[in-house]
Amino acid sequence: METKLKSQVLQQFQEATRSLVNPELQKWKDQGGRVLGCYCSYIPEEVITAAGCVPFRMRGTGSTSTELADACVSLINCSFIRHSLDLGLRGEYSFLDGCAWVNSCDHVRRIYDHWKRKIDTPFVHLLSLPKKVTEPQVEWYREEISLFKDRLGFHLGVFISDERLWKAIRLHNETRQLQRQLYELRKRKDPPITGAETLAVMVAGTAMPRQEYNELLRELLDDLSRAEGHTDYRARIMLIGGILDDPRYIDVIEDQGGLVVTDSLCFGSRTMWRDVDENASDPVTALARYYIADRPSCPRMFGDHLRRSAFVKDMIRDFNVDGVIAERLVMCDNWTGEQFMLGEDLKETGFPYIRLDREYLLTGVGQLRTRVQAFLEMMGR
Amino acid sequence: MVRQYKYEPHLFRRYKEERDYFSFLSGILAQDPDPISQLSREITDITVERYDQIMQYAEEGKPFIAGYFCAAPEIYEAMDLPWYMIMATPFLAASAPYLLGDIDGAEAMGLGTDWCTACRLSLYYIEAELTPKPWALIGLIHPCDAGNLLHQSVARNQKWRDVPIFATDPPYFEDQRSIDYFAGELRRMVAFLEEHTGHKLDLDRLREVCIESNKQYELWAEYAQLRRAVPCPHGWGIGGPQCFAAVQVFQTGKPRGTQWLRNLLANTEQRVKEGVGTIPNEKIRYFWFDLLPFGWVFEFLPWLEEEWGAVMVMEMFGFTPYTPIDIRNEDTIFKGLAKRNLYDSPMVRQARGPADYFAADIVRVVKDYNIDCVIWPGHMGHKDGSASTGIMREICNELGVPYIHIGLDLFDKRYTTPDECKDKVSKFFSAMGLG
Ligand code: SF4
Ligand code: SF4
Repeated sequence: METKLKSQVLQQFQEATRSLVNPELQKWKDQGGRVLGCYCSYIPEEVITAAGCVPFRMRGTGSTSTELADACVSLINCSFIRHSLDLGLRGEYSFLDGCAWVNSCDHVRRIYDHWKRKIDTPFVHLLSLPKKVTEPQVEWYREEISLFKDRLGFHLGVFISDERLWKAIRLHNETRQLQRQLYELRKRKDPPITGAETLAVMVAGTAMPRQEYNELLRELLDDLSRAEGHTDYRARIMLIGGILDDPRYIDVIEDQGGLVVTDSLCFGSRTMWRDVDENASDPVTALARYYIADRPSCPRMFGDHLRRSAFVKDMIRDFNVDGVIAERLVMCDNWTGEQFMLGEDLKETGFPYIRLDREYLLTGVGQLRTRVQAFLEMMGR
Repeated sequence: MVRQYKYEPHLFRRYKEERDYFSFLSGILAQDPDPISQLSREITDITVERYDQIMQYAEEGKPFIAGYFCAAPEIYEAMDLPWYMIMATPFLAASAPYLLGDIDGAEAMGLGTDWCTACRLSLYYIEAELTPKPWALIGLIHPCDAGNLLHQSVARNQKWRDVPIFATDPPYFEDQRSIDYFAGELRRMVAFLEEHTGHKLDLDRLREVCIESNKQYELWAEYAQLRRAVPCPHGWGIGGPQCFAAVQVFQTGKPRGTQWLRNLLANTEQRVKEGVGTIPNEKIRYFWFDLLPFGWVFEFLPWLEEEWGAVMVMEMFGFTPYTPIDIRNEDTIFKGLAKRNLYDSPMVRQARGPADYFAADIVRVVKDYNIDCVIWPGHMGHKDGSASTGIMREICNELGVPYIHIGLDLFDKRYTTPDECKDKVSKFFSAMGLG
């Protein structure tokens, strides 16, 4: 499936997912701009923007082997971290001026340890991310964000004032609002954009200077408002999972007739479904509350499964979803647990649901095709 | 509101089978006059007593909880709350005949095969109603993702959905701010337990428990020092895991546990004085940096001793330096408990935070214990450890001590069979000129 548009902006976004450094980011670097890598969507990117840097979500795009990483980690580690570490060890991340982590999962937190020892990046930092979502954790993360802000500011020689933070929060909220408008269009019976194209738009947003991205996204929305919608699909699918950054995976699903109309993904709706509260008393507290308590959580957050499940059920209703596909990278414990729990929840309502395992690089396309086909048939589509 | 559950004896069949298994072991050990067998028997006896107590409380409708060794068992003891670990079931009865069948049962539930087998089994036992349902559950969300997701799955499981659950949130680094925060988490845990069991925490009682457990940790530390002797006075059969069982699980802050440690120490001192090792001809002193391979322990570890003269001088649960709890006031007690349970507790101390923590343990153990090689078994659940294998190897290289990463499942011997493990280790010893 492909959307025909007047402008080139969609192609520009798609292009940005195929490499690490896209032309906008290159331009930023050429002008002396700084870029900071982020290993998880729980990193408060607004602080990075306020420090005058571009936050860049880490990917393994372009990797073809894990030879160097395999000397550091093992085969029971997820292929995303093996590929992204491999790129780091090969120097492919030398465009970064720094890199930030949270202790997201048992795999990612170890990349921090290897990176510190083996890769020469001027600034590395790990924020201790709580595993619960209640008030004491908001307070803890407020302090963590504050420490991160001070350390980053000191390193760069920039005073990250409240004013700068509020400005960054408004800019990032603007991104979120525009992205939600994009998702809003997908609620239509004839969505004007496919799931694969949407993922490209979302991934591009994690790899470009914010201001430019927002302008391009506005242009795309304008274009889409006049575009012809897609009606040639068999079923409306919600896609759930972790770090999926390759639109070609969704292409395979959509080529079988399963139009992905919404998601709960690390590069998808969970990053923008809510805004940071612009009326809070101070910006650091606002960020802590947003990241810990307000935004839809990921499976590593204990005690929040019911809210995550309700989020999925709301999406199913609002986007008129026919079936849910939950994808997981092999060896990922967080998503194993979540897939299981969600499966049990949906089983109780009898809603069509399928669990798929995958590797970070798109392999096993034939098998994926077969499983999706069988799923659509099972739904009577 | 304090809940009550109506118990049918069939609801914890597996738990009862485990109790019988330990009782059987106790019976066998009782017939062996060897002092080490008698020390082991005391541990199997206290294990059976806890099983009996939990079943009795369940049947009589008295409150008991499910908790964890690294979530302040001193508090459960002071609150007079019997407790058991839902994840202990797979560990304790791992060599029991039904283990492999249960693993298959867990797989049939749809729990996959790459999730830690201990977690899959624990969830299976709950789903199949083979383990007693507690009044309240203290969940474990560190050191690994698997444990975190296990407890979330338990909380949403149909069978246990009405069991209130609380988990203490672990900070990542070691500093005073983290200790203060974790002490707050422990206080919130106390409030939760008081609400759901009706039992109250008495500070004087907690102080008493801490005084006694401080003595226990001191004796444990002395024992760990004695294992530095060449030859090593004890092997894999007695040591860290039993100290852990006594001090952190079955006899926390109880004089009987303290006496057991004194007896262990006396036995060890005598052996060291007489130069008696665990085997007559100790050739290789290895550091086993993980839990023991419970599912096939009797097939592998004795073989290492017999075939290679290889002695397990230290393992993950035995090397746990403890700080005594300062019992002056409530604040110092809670902060002491926070530090002990977060930074000293085995496995949690090594695996929860950055790789520097377990790296430091490797360096200290290799230097202090005259270690000839480090074995990282690489249990399939320990993803963070296996994601650090390169760091472990480099540290060992710097220390000039050989290192091997096996890659196995501590429970399921079909994952890497005991024979495959033997083959790997034999080739490693030969290549390194050991033994
Ligand atoms: S896919 Fe799972 S294991 Fe891999 S980085 Fe994400 S959360 Fe971690
Ligand atoms: S991975 Fe290790 S720490 Fe985690 S549940 Fe399994 S045995 Fe326990």
